[in-house]
Amino acid sequence: MSMLTTTGLDLAYGDFKVLNGVTMEMSLSGLHGMIGPNGAGKSTLFAVLSGFSRQTAGKVNFAGTAFEQLSAVERARHGFGRTFQVPREFKHLSVRENLKVGARHQPGESLIKLLLAPGEVRRAEAAISERVEHTLDFLKLRAVADNLAGGLSGGQKKLLELGRVLMSDPKFILLDEPYAGVNPVLIEEISARISELNQQGIGFLIIEHNLEALNRLVDDLYVMDRGTLLAHGKPDEVLADAGVRAAYMGSH
Amino acid sequence: MTFADFLNLALNGLVEGLLIALPALAVTLVHGLARFPNAATGDVVAAGGFGGYFTFNVTGSLLLAGLGGALVGALVSLAAYYLAFKAIMRRSVITLLLTSIGVGFFIRSVLGMSFGHELKMFSLPLTRAINFHGVLINPTDVQLAGVIVAVLAAVFVMLYVAPVGRMMRALADDPDLGRVSGIRKERVMVVMWSVTGAVCGIAGTVLGMRTTLAPEMGWTMLLPAFAAAVIGGLGNPVGAVAGAILLGVVQELSTPYVGFVYKIALGYVVMLLVLLVRPQGLFNRPQGVR
Amino acid sequence: MVSYLATILIIMVIYILLAFSLDLQYGFTGLINFGLVGFFGVGAYTSALVTMNLGLPAWLSFPAAMLVAGLLSWPLGRIALRLRDDYLAIVTLGFSEIIRLVIVKEDWLTHGVQGISGIPRLWPNWSSSASELFLLCALITAAALTTLVMRRITQSPYGRTIQAIRDDEVAVIALGKDPSIFKTQVLVIGGAIAGLAGAFYAHYITYIVPDQFVPITTFYIWMAIIMGGVARLLGSISGAVLLVFLLEGTRFLRGYIPGVTDAGMASFQLGVIGVLLILFMRWRPQGLFGKRSAT
Repeated sequence: MSMLTTTGLDLAYGDFKVLNGVTMEMSLSGLHGMIGPNGAGKSTLFAVLSGFSRQTAGKVNFAGTAFEQLSAVERARHGFGRTFQVPREFKHLSVRENLKVGARHQPGESLIKLLLAPGEVRRAEAAISERVEHTLDFLKLRAVADNLAGGLSGGQKKLLELGRVLMSDPKFILLDEPYAGVNPVLIEEISARISELNQQGIGFLIIEHNLEALNRLVDDLYVMDRGTLLAHGKPDEVLADAGVRAAYMGSH
Repeated sequence: MTFADFLNLALNGLVEGLLIALPALAVTLVHGLARFPNAATGDVVAAGGFGGYFTFNVTGSLLLAGLGGALVGALVSLAAYYLAFKAIMRRSVITLLLTSIGVGFFIRSVLGMSFGHELKMFSLPLTRAINFHGVLINPTDVQLAGVIVAVLAAVFVMLYVAPVGRMMRALADDPDLGRVSGIRKERVMVVMWSVTGAVCGIAGTVLGMRTTLAPEMGWTMLLPAFAAAVIGGLGNPVGAVAGAILLGVVQELSTPYVGFVYKIALGYVVMLLVLLVRPQGLFNRPQGVR
Repeated sequence: MVSYLATILIIMVIYILLAFSLDLQYGFTGLINFGLVGFFGVGAYTSALVTMNLGLPAWLSFPAAMLVAGLLSWPLGRIALRLRDDYLAIVTLGFSEIIRLVIVKEDWLTHGVQGISGIPRLWPNWSSSASELFLLCALITAAALTTLVMRRITQSPYGRTIQAIRDDEVAVIALGKDPSIFKTQVLVIGGAIAGLAGAFYAHYITYIVPDQFVPITTFYIWMAIIMGGVARLLGSISGAVLLVFLLEGTRFLRGYIPGVTDAGMASFQLGVIGVLLILFMRWRPQGLFGKRSAT
């Protein structure tokens, strides 16, 4: 079974450790959740895992590949996708164009092919367009397909980000607060989509504050507090744990 | 190169550096609070220079000329803030930067149309350099350097002792502080624009006294001021002054090796190297330059 | 009259090429290049020197100009990748000034401040007005080809991705694409287009000096793409046309105002451009033909 593992991950600023000896092991086909009070280091962990921040110590291993020295671009190319806490849509591009950018193999991104192999570019574009149409339907964004992404609602932007990362054929996706600022109906939609995708073989690690929605969705739950991994296990068990309640519930 | 030659170049570089220190300080103070490099800095220098020039012609007093220059500089700077920058303060860096280019153009255009392009000079008695064992010391340079040091001292007293100066530095470090702690940002802004304008105005007057006056004179100050501020670390007042003096001395010392033309280019090269090696500047803590 | 119109059109199309260069870099990719005039100058000098010192025919000097200007953009690209907007603006400005200083200092090659005179016209055997018309036709052809290339680049997956880089580089990285390759390419292509414009300029004006390549020109072109609308080919073209109308229009006004000198006129133009920059950035940053964006 392919795994994502971290060993003794540290991120220190001088004496202060934002991440302290984080060691985890999760299957790349599972649906995992992560909770913790604000400032616990969850988003920082995401940044280190995806390569946007560099750890001061420790290792990250993705399906047998050592990740800790790889750049963010390289990690993404290995099939490690992510979304962001505050959506990073391409605001001056349409929803459709946003999704198209996500596609991995685009001969049209090479200047040489663009000018000398128009046929190949055209064929690849047609294939990408087809996938985009499916994604639009899957995420129910067809109605806004031609709108500029900057004008979408918060929930729609989250869906768009998910769609865009899906276009890049990821094996595993880090979702950073997919439900934040999203209306409850849409939350159900997003959960349903994540579930379907997981059944198709894509694994997830999801940071969230919305405990009920997360509880129903994930197989297991990690709890972080002040840079350390406090607990890990089945959602019901973890949430019932007294230590977890003390750390997390107090400030929620 | 003898030691006397070396000293001559270093001293000249010190004066050149001090001349750039004032606009460099202005650039860094504006960047600290308003978060953009103000491309109109040079033209405020020029405007102040003209103000000082006319004050001198009317009063014959160098002191009043300096004050006149400072006043004109402050007024022009405040006008630019109220008429051009204030409304767009929350916009992107490039918006503010391009607006400042426009402001600079406008100031230069008014100066050009009002006063023409012939070079003007302060009618000051010519002084001869004193020869001190081969080291040449020009009394005018000493006086002007003294003026600049005095102005710098005054500004630093304000920044580090006066409440408004401390607020200015606090806000530059953390812009959100204003909302949290009740520091009245608007008042600090007005003080900042006035002070930077006055500083530029004095720089223009001093520059005019040392060389000549022309509407374009500010532009030749701008890139060196930017370079000095970047080398010292944008937003860091000590850095700006140190960067300017460093730049001036390094440029002068390099002249025997690279010539007059390339000594100017050297400034940009040094700035580039600093940005590549230590992007936050020599005196700043690491932060987001990338 | 024909000659006057030809002159206006030549300047206009040269400005269009420069606007394309800048818009590709800033409008489409979000790169703040304040050093445009440097590459314009490199193109002009390369073309002049290749024609005169190497004795090659003029039409060979144009690709040479594009090549040198494009190659010079590459180190700028490497530097640009690591810098934030405000630093990038200052560095690119410094870069174009360094180029100008090198042109001034290396007078064994460039004749320094005295400049290069007697640059041959494109078709030397013809009369000067016929030669000028020929240059205009060649220029329009080159501009039309450049427009086609720009169109192909911008309305394509490549164009999509560079705009994505402009909008959010971090998100592009998270998708497994490396922005630095695109940024470097865009700077090189833009540099080459600016170099092409420079080559035409040199052969049109036949006498070039370093003082013709000062930052004011860079900001005139910035004004043009902002007026016309960034990230649009139509915007670049209309902006350049408007710029020429503005500059020529203010020159006409001079006829009605007595006692205005050349320098006074230049000052007035500078003031008009300055005010327009301020007004456009405040009230209509998307330009005349740009779309009102989401922000």
